[in-house]
This record gives sequence, C-alpha cells and structure tokens, in this order.
Amino acid sequence: MSEARSRNSEPTGRALLKGLAFASPFIIGFLVLYAWPILASGYYSLTDFSLFKAPKWVGLANYERMISDAKFWKSLYNTLFFTFVGVPVDIAISIAGAHILNQKLKGQPLWRALVYLPSIVPAVAAGFLWRWLLNAQYGFVNEILRWFRIPQPNWLLDASWGGISVIVLMLWTVGGTMLIYLAALKNVPQELYEAAELDGAGPLRRFWHITWPMISPVTLFQVIVLMIAFLQVFTQPFVLSKDPGLGTQTATGPGDSMLSYSIYLFQNGFTFLKMGYASAMAWVLLFVTLAITLLILWSAKKWVFYDNR
Amino acid sequence: MSTALGVVMMFGGALGAYAQDKTEITFSYLWGGAEGAALEQIIADFNASQDKIVVKGVSSPDMTKQLASMSSAKGAFDISDNFASNIASWSNQGILLPLDEFGIDTSDFPESVMKQLVVDGVLYSLPIATHNFQLVYNKKLLDEAGVTPPTTTAELAEAIKKLTKVDAEGNVTQLGLGLTDISAGMKTLGYAFGGDWNRDGKPTPTDANFVKGVQFYYDNVVAPVTPAAYNKFVAGFGPYMSDQDSFKQGKIAMVFEGEWRAKFNTEAGMDWGVVPVPGETPELLGSTWVDVSTMFIPTNTGNKEAAGEFLKYIVSPPVMEKFSHVLANLPGRISLASSAAYDDLPNFKVWLDAMNSPNTHGLPPALYMAEYNADLASAFDSVLQGAQTAEAALQAVADRTGSYSQ
Repeated sequence: MSEARSRNSEPTGRALLKGLAFASPFIIGFLVLYAWPILASGYYSLTDFSLFKAPKWVGLANYERMISDAKFWKSLYNTLFFTFVGVPVDIAISIAGAHILNQKLKGQPLWRALVYLPSIVPAVAAGFLWRWLLNAQYGFVNEILRWFRIPQPNWLLDASWGGISVIVLMLWTVGGTMLIYLAALKNVPQELYEAAELDGAGPLRRFWHITWPMISPVTLFQVIVLMIAFLQVFTQPFVLSKDPGLGTQTATGPGDSMLSYSIYLFQNGFTFLKMGYASAMAWVLLFVTLAITLLILWSAKKWVFYDNR
Repeated sequence: MSTALGVVMMFGGALGAYAQDKTEITFSYLWGGAEGAALEQIIADFNASQDKIVVKGVSSPDMTKQLASMSSAKGAFDISDNFASNIASWSNQGILLPLDEFGIDTSDFPESVMKQLVVDGVLYSLPIATHNFQLVYNKKLLDEAGVTPPTTTAELAEAIKKLTKVDAEGNVTQLGLGLTDISAGMKTLGYAFGGDWNRDGKPTPTDANFVKGVQFYYDNVVAPVTPAAYNKFVAGFGPYMSDQDSFKQGKIAMVFEGEWRAKFNTEAGMDWGVVPVPGETPELLGSTWVDVSTMFIPTNTGNKEAAGEFLKYIVSPPVMEKFSHVLANLPGRISLASSAAYDDLPNFKVWLDAMNSPNTHGLPPALYMAEYNADLASAFDSVLQGAQTAEAALQAVADRTGSYSQ
C-alpha cells in the first residue's frame, strides 16, 4: 500500500522522462523512419531531384506537370477503377462467404482455414500462379468458361480485360476480410433474428434490417482498409503485366490498363530518376486517399449503426 | 582436439594475412546462370594472374539495387555492367567515373559503339559485348511453304502471308513474323524502311519511315488475322529461350533476333537460318541497330585504380573474345569481328559482318532514353491492340517528349 503511494507521488516531470525513455525506441523509429522521410518528400516534391544530385527548387512545377501528363491521369483512372470496382466486390464476396462459413457445417474449422490460405501466399507467387490461370490459351479459368460455353476473354493481353485481371488477383485474398466478417456475424445477438422471424421477416429483410446495420462498423473499417490497399496496389499489376513470352518489361499491361498509380510513381522515381516528380505524386496520392477517407467517414453517419448510441 | 584447432587457426591467420596484402574489389554483375559462371571463370583467371588485386564477383540482377548502391557515399561494388542506353543519364547524375584517366586505347572499338559510350567528349564506359538484330528463320517452315528468305520488305510481306496459318475457327496456329521483343522488333523494322526513332540525339517517334516500319507490322501481321486473334495466339507464348519458346516451338516462322540466338537455336536442335534484315530498297538491306553491354566504374568506388586494372583486363581482346564466345554475344572490338573463335557458332557471321556495316546504327547518348523507351513500348502495344494507327500512337509519344530530361 505504502509502496503504491510512493510510486503515485513520484514527481510528474520524472515520470514523464521515464515514460519517454521507455517509449523512445518507438519515438526515435517514428521520427527517423517515418516523420523525416514524409517531411523530406514534401520538400523534394517542390524540387527537381534525382537521388544523386542536390535538389533544385522548382516550386509547384512538378504538380503543374501532372495536369498535362496523360500517363499520370491514366494511372490515376486505372487505380480508381481498381478501387471503386474492387472494394465493393471484395466486401460483397466477404459478407456472402462469411454467411456460408457461419452455417453449422461439418469440418467448419477446415473451411475457415482454407479460405484464409491464399492470404498467406506471397503476392508475387500468387501473381505468377494467376498468370497461368488467366492465360488465354492454356489457362484454367478460360477452360472452365469453355465448359459452360461462356466467351473466354484474353485476360492479360486485351486492354479491356487487363484491369479486371488485376481486380481478380486482388480478390484472391478475400478470405482475410471474410474471417473478420465471420467474427462480426457471431457478435450479432440471436434474439434480434428470433424477434424478426416472429414478426414474419424473411432472410433478405433480416439481412437488411438486422445483419447489415449490426456489422456496419466492421464494414466501415473494411472499406477504408481495402480502399487504401487498392489505391496503393503495385505487386499484382506489376507481376501480371510482365510477359516473358514477349520480352516486354513495361509493367503497364495491354493499353496501359495495368498501369497503377504506384507503378507509375515507382517508374518516375527509380527508372526515369525523377524523384521530385515521384514525391509530388506521392503527396497527391496521400490527399486523394485522405479525401476519399473523409468522404467515407462523412457518409458513415448515414449508414453506420453503433448500438451504444 | 586442441592441436586441430590450433592448425585451423594458423591456416585461417595465414589466409587473412594473404588477403590483407591484396586490394579486394567487388565486381557486381547483372548476369546469372551460364553467363555468371563464365564471368566467375574470368574473375578466377584474373585473380590467379595477380599479386596485388583480388576480385570478388557478385551476381546481382536487380538494376534498382545497383542504382541505389551508387547513391551512397561508399557503394557496395567497385565495377559493374549495364547497357549503353543508361550511360548518358547516369553520367549526367555524376555516378559514373570518367575512364579517360586510365589511358585505354579505344581505336579498336566500333564507331557505332563508341558513339554510345562517350558523353560530351568524356568516356564513361567500355563495351564487353555488343548486339545487333537480324532476321532469323525456321528453315523447315520456310521450306514447307516454298519461301526463300526475303531480302526486301516487299518479299518479307509476301513471306509473312505464306507463312501465317489460321484454322477453321479463325485461331492463329502459326505467325509468319513474330516479335520476341516488341520494342527491338519494331525499332528494327523502322530502320528497314530507312527510319530512325532517335536521330541526332533527339527523339523522333514521328519520323515518317519509322512510322512506316511500325505500320508495316500491323498491316502485314496483325490486321490479316485480326488484333484479337493475334493477341490470343501471342498469349500462349512460353518464356523466352525456354523449351516453350515460341520460335523453338515453331509458332513463329521468322523473327528479328540478336546473335545470342545462334547458341540457343543450335543447342535446341533447330534447323534454322539467318539473313540480314530485309530493306525497303536494296541500299537498306541489313539495316539494324547496335545495343551494347557495358562495363563501368561507379564514382563512389574506394578502389578506382584496382577497378581500372580489372576493367582493362576484362575488355582486353583475349578476355572479351572468351566471354563473348561463351555467351554467343558479339565482341565489342573490330579486330575480333574476324576471329576464328566464333566459327563454331552456326550462322554467327551474319551478325559479325553487321558490326562494321554502315547500315548498323548506334544510338547517341540521351538522358531521356528510359522514359522514351517506356513510352515507345506503350505505343507499340497500342498498335498491336489495334487501338491506334502507328501514326497516332507515335504522335502521342511525340506529345510527351517535351517533358523528357534534356
């Protein structure tokens, strides 16, 4: 008792110093590895910088250049396409899959492990696997479509299917989101469903009026996390667009349909040695991400339900 | 036990003292596999001949890592290799050591090669091997179709027609002229029509004859089978120079290829031939371009004298001959073009003869090459997709050249 009192009565300044000392590994790591590079990239975005020479101040020239850079707009369009198509589809599949996993099936732990399995496969390995699966001539996906007499697209060499292929590969790891939704479904009170059933509500009405609002906080979190992942997509289009048969290494896919924002940023920084322009692109991506996040958070007032209100 | 330990420690100490007497330099090379093994043999030969320098070879095929290493005060290597297209940009960044101080006699290097390695009168790199492109063909397929190897672009068009096969469902089963490297093939076709995509150190994507060359491929190869059928067929091509290689598999009858194909085709047991690139006119026969594998010393080396010694050794005639022969690459020296060492490489003479041809073009150093090549690749793809004509696609490239580093 007396020991506890003496600890509580420790001077505030000394306690603060002790606290800071214990937190210093994180604080120093954050300042050196995150804060400094972020601030430095802000400065570099206003310069002509190549990594090797001293940066030369150019003001807003890098940002102005983006306006007339057709590839910048193409990469932004592609990335927004991946995001606005991929995120809703990912959420829809996850919720549907979580409902199936939530049934009382035999061997349920095994099914749950199986849906998560693709998430532990490295993205590069998965990319090379899907290059074969999506091959227009010999791929398994087109073979299945052929069985059902569905037209088989040229996934990787047709400009209108390049972006879809990237989304398909992104959805490969949908199992992670599915399991989070499964946990959310298990937290929905059963009595709500029982009451609704007594009132004569069918499965669709039960989903729309009970499940959807009750899992909406999880949906909000998932939408934001997935949106950020899709906006930063790099590995999947980079691997899919490398074509060993053709010897091309453009990493942009047919008709530049796989040119993601991050790939174009990387090209500018490390291939074209335009690190100033790449830094400016990074800041634009940050603001685009921030704007979409704020928009989602603002809209959340209308569709996210917190039962502690 | 203690005796054995003592012997090991004495042996280790002796080795350490031996290594300390010599200057150790690191040679980081982009090659791997058989090429890497050939280089390791050259390094071993050099080390055996030396009592002052010891070279440590490291295979590192990651160009981004190579570049990153040159951005620090002290780099991870003292000598390395790359391609001529990067020399202008890298020398402009101050990361390449000028080589003039080593007093290397450059009179034996072809003019088309030196043109690419000297920037503003300063030598920044030396050739270890060179490459040019010629028309390689599958003899069996040409014989079956009754086609003789073409010498003009008109004959080439006719040959493509006869050698392209489509089944009853409209699926392509054989292409008369394929591209194993889209950019290299398209650029070669541009030269075949007397065009140039980079004239006098400036990007010229809308050069009328270059446009004609790119359009030739679409009109004669893609359009007759439709872009959709063409791209579906191409999607089935296996990895380059593997067992599933499109040329080896007989999926393409003719292709513009570099000299390294001589070794692969022969080892694959193919019945093949090669002729100079057909020209639009007789004067343009054999029009091609030369790419150069180069050796350089980064500015941040701590051992420039030792690196310079090794550089002189590796580009010396006997070593260059040995290296280029093992890889079936062209040497970077005029005197080696007539060497009997390459006689055992079938059909190699066609590429060797082109080394000194006035129709073999060298690319002047340019800062914008990486960006320009990326834009050209997008334009070529757009043409192959049937989305744009060659003129429109290359005009889009021309519209972007204003923002290139100059």
